[in-house]
Amino acid sequence: MKPFRARKGEIVARLDRAEAGIVGLLLDQLEQLLGADADDVAGDPVLERLFPPGHRSDREMAEDYRELAEESLRGGKADDLATVRATLPADGGEVRLDADQAGAWLRTSNDLRLALGTRLDITEDSEPPEEIADESDHQLAVYYWLTAVQGSLVDALVAGRAGRR
Amino acid sequence: MAGPLAPTWTPDTSVEEESDLDRPWVTIVWNDPVNLMNYVTFVLQELFGYDEAKATELMLQVHHEGRAIVSSGPRERMEHDTSRLHAYGLWASYQKDS
Repeated sequence: MKPFRARKGEIVARLDRAEAGIVGLLLDQLEQLLGADADDVAGDPVLERLFPPGHRSDREMAEDYRELAEESLRGGKADDLATVRATLPADGGEVRLDADQAGAWLRTSNDLRLALGTRLDITEDSEPPEEIADESDHQLAVYYWLTAVQGSLVDALVAGRAGRR
Repeated sequence: MAGPLAPTWTPDTSVEEESDLDRPWVTIVWNDPVNLMNYVTFVLQELFGYDEAKATELMLQVHHEGRAIVSSGPRERMEHDTSRLHAYGLWASYQKDS
């Protein structure tokens, strides 16, 4: 991978074929989760993290908020996901994004990290795996790879913003 | 000293910076182990127009104290701010200011 950077008004990165494949799979999984029947995924910790209560102690107010906000939040996530899919080179290669597309990558990559982080019980003390011995090591490695991708995307957006001033 | 021309009352010219009625609700961002520090700073700048110093200060407050108030105002606006933060995956909620 070549991390994200700002280049002539665009945000660019390069993904290997395997990396693009992993992102594609994660997008599929997120899409399935977001599209799942509500009864099948009730109480799912990832969905609870992606759609947290608006109010922490007043359940009625939290319910009001959910009715008010959840549909448009879901719609925004679906739109972002579609944008990432459309700009992801399926076989690897350069990712070239305008500002709106970069925003979609930013939010979706964060959702993927939130989802993986929740499944893997990430804490502030978690660290990248030293070796890949099993599936959870592999997922942890993917989580930290996404962390690097997202960190570079934020830095590139900040640099791009500074360049526009 | 009160003379015949002295006003019988003095208008109160001091203005409350933030009256209770105007700003009774707050939006809070809570610490979580996933969101990156530079990401949180970036999002606070994007959504609220804070400069980098202010956004960094709030981010560090979230990180070290577990929470920070990122906006205040009427309830409807705090609901809206909360949903904008949720769209970016920040762990946010709104409540009546205590």
